Amino acid sequence: MAHDVTPPPEVVCTSLAKTFAGGTEAVRPIDLTFAAGQTTALVGPSGCGKSTLLRMVAGLEAPSAGRIEIGGAPPRATLRRAGLSVAFQDPSLLPWRSVRGNIELALKLARRRAGPSEIDQLIDLVGLDGFAETRPAELSGGMRQRAAIARALATRPGLLLLDEPFGAVDELTRRQLAQDLPRIWEARGTTTILVTHSVSEAVLLADRVIVLSPRPAEIVADIAVDLPRPRPEDAARTEAASALIDRVFAELSKGMAASNPPLAAQ
Amino acid sequence: MTDATTGTGLPIAAARRGAGGSGPVLGVLFLLAGWELAGRLLTEAFVLAAPSEVALYLVRDWQLMLRALGVTLGNAATGFVIGNVAAVALAGIALLWPRSERVITGLGLLVFCLPLVATGPILRVFFGPGPGPQIALAALAVYYTTLIPLLVGLRAAPDSWFDLVRSYGRGPVSALVHVRAMAALPYLFTGLQIAAPAAFLGAMVGEFTGAERGMGVLTVRAIRALDVEMTWGLATVATAVAILAYVGIGALARRVLLEAPPVILAAPAVATGRRLGGWIDTGLVILLALGGWAGAIWAFGLNPFFAKGPGDVFDALVVAPDAAATRATIGAALTESAVYLIPGYIAGLLAGAALAILLILVPAVASTAMPLAIALRSVPIVTTAPLIVLLLGRGAVGTIFLVAVMVFFPSFVACLQGLRQAPGQVMAVFDSYAAGPFTRLVRVRIPAMLPAFFAAARMAVPASVLALTVAEWLATGSGIGSLMALSASLSDYDMLWSSVVLVSALSALGYVLVGAVERRVLAIYAPEQLA
Repeated sequence: MAHDVTPPPEVVCTSLAKTFAGGTEAVRPIDLTFAAGQTTALVGPSGCGKSTLLRMVAGLEAPSAGRIEIGGAPPRATLRRAGLSVAFQDPSLLPWRSVRGNIELALKLARRRAGPSEIDQLIDLVGLDGFAETRPAELSGGMRQRAAIARALATRPGLLLLDEPFGAVDELTRRQLAQDLPRIWEARGTTTILVTHSVSEAVLLADRVIVLSPRPAEIVADIAVDLPRPRPEDAARTEAASALIDRVFAELSKGMAASNPPLAAQ
Repeated sequence: MTDATTGTGLPIAAARRGAGGSGPVLGVLFLLAGWELAGRLLTEAFVLAAPSEVALYLVRDWQLMLRALGVTLGNAATGFVIGNVAAVALAGIALLWPRSERVITGLGLLVFCLPLVATGPILRVFFGPGPGPQIALAALAVYYTTLIPLLVGLRAAPDSWFDLVRSYGRGPVSALVHVRAMAALPYLFTGLQIAAPAAFLGAMVGEFTGAERGMGVLTVRAIRALDVEMTWGLATVATAVAILAYVGIGALARRVLLEAPPVILAAPAVATGRRLGGWIDTGLVILLALGGWAGAIWAFGLNPFFAKGPGDVFDALVVAPDAAATRATIGAALTESAVYLIPGYIAGLLAGAALAILLILVPAVASTAMPLAIALRSVPIVTTAPLIVLLLGRGAVGTIFLVAVMVFFPSFVACLQGLRQAPGQVMAVFDSYAAGPFTRLVRVRIPAMLPAFFAAARMAVPASVLALTVAEWLATGSGIGSLMALSASLSDYDMLWSSVVLVSALSALGYVLVGAVERRVLAIYAPEQLA
């Protein structure tokens, strides 16, 4: 490999809260620590503030209260060292650059170097072999998201933030990516935060699942996923995984019920 | 028509489709045949030369024409570069300091609304002999049409692209280099494409004001000598240059860009005064305009005999013993002009929209007419204004027709593009109810056309004023255009500067008013345009 991996940092959020200018409260004060080298999934209903939380960690959104420390420093310092990468919900590929061009731009912005073969490996890994020189407009939605994932991995970040990275990816590819991607971030020891709707995906990919309430986001449950790694494709069907999935569902429903009491109870 | 910028770009896809078909060729042949026939029928009237006569003239006098063309092209190119560099610089300032954007666009609009008919003679006195006024007018004709699309383009990238740059710890410079500049390129090309023929037109109008050489000089000479073949020969060459410039930049854009330049329907950024900030910006624009005007006279040490400052104009219009007479003269001239301008403007807009609507119902004809209309839009109609007036008479019909033609092509092209932009999914819903073409037209296509229609209407305000004043100056001898030309030749500079101020202010006001109507309509039919 042509360059060093940034050491995985611990991410500590202290009394972190966000209220938007219009008065919308997105995140209630939250205390949360993302352990170094671990994969943590944030699960919650649509619009609950998961992405806002992720954007605050990424330094893209200023918290209204509280603070974030990444490896003991504020997010801005991590950004300056190009120590983190985000794979956005919207792939955000620049349309005038090919898949390879987009990955190269990220390397340039992060002031990192990677050889052509390393970029090719990443492109292969996300299943885009043969599309390296293709521009985003000619790719499907799922392919664009995979290109964005490759771009996020290319800079070898210590902290990887994934916001619904598989939203537009077809089921089969999704399964394959769920197999392949953890191998990379495990091998590199990356601290990974994954925002997702999918409970089974969260359980399959993460070491820990944080269940959030509907907006404003509050922590409903913090569930350790003690399934052995590597997790094969059928890991989600094991008894232990099923139990975890059921538990996450139950906590999600509890959170929903607390904020939206059923009609009969009103 | 180059200056009648609707701000709408050339649809490359449409041009590509058109390039392969025989439609445009047929259209041109049809046009030539009609022109030839009319020319032959009107031989005795000394107003129209047939294409065959024009061709003969051009072959006979090609050396004269080539020399004049070289001079005008040189001036136009210099003005094109200066105007566009100024536009890029102004856009850069607006980007670095967003608070300044409304003031920059406001001042830009005021300067763009200066009547070339009057600024030409003033610049002639300022620069003396030489190419100064021609270059200055060419630059003035282009900077605004580049500035507006560029401002839109520099903000045209989605937020997530900037998030990407920030997520790697990079700042505004990286965002500018990697995102904004690239995202703005198509918009820049849209502006340049409209600017290229406009620069040529500006240089020609500059040459009307007493240059020694150039196409404009020959045009004035030909009109005065009633040399019909030469006049039409010059108009033909000017038209060919304008179309070639438009098509040339379009071809360059196709080589450089991945996709068609966008259709720009940016809502006017000029203060409409609804909020306090709007009023403050408007006041600031007026103050800066007055300050810049007085400052320029002082800085260049201009002779007070011809260089009148804001105070002089105020004196002439309000304080001086003959102020009432001055106001009455200008008022009468403005009224005379308005009688032609307003019906011509409205007729041109409506005719453009009506033909576009008619053509969309007959798609086969639309594909033939579209490339032709796009090309014709770049014809420097102002240079042919005297001919149209000669053709249709100096009365109301000729002048109103001229203004209408000036407004017609941009309106037609914009509306046709707008009609074609009807959202496919909505059309599919109407299809699923087996709605007929008329229902789809009224319910989907016309509402989808409105943003384009109003963008054209807004940009057509200064363009129609230009057409009218040039026609009044060179042909009809009435109205404000004639008054300004007469004042310049009689060295009545109080009258000239007062007229310039009023015409510019009224043009800008017209632009802002149409913009205000546009915003109201867009708020209902295209709220995304106002975001």
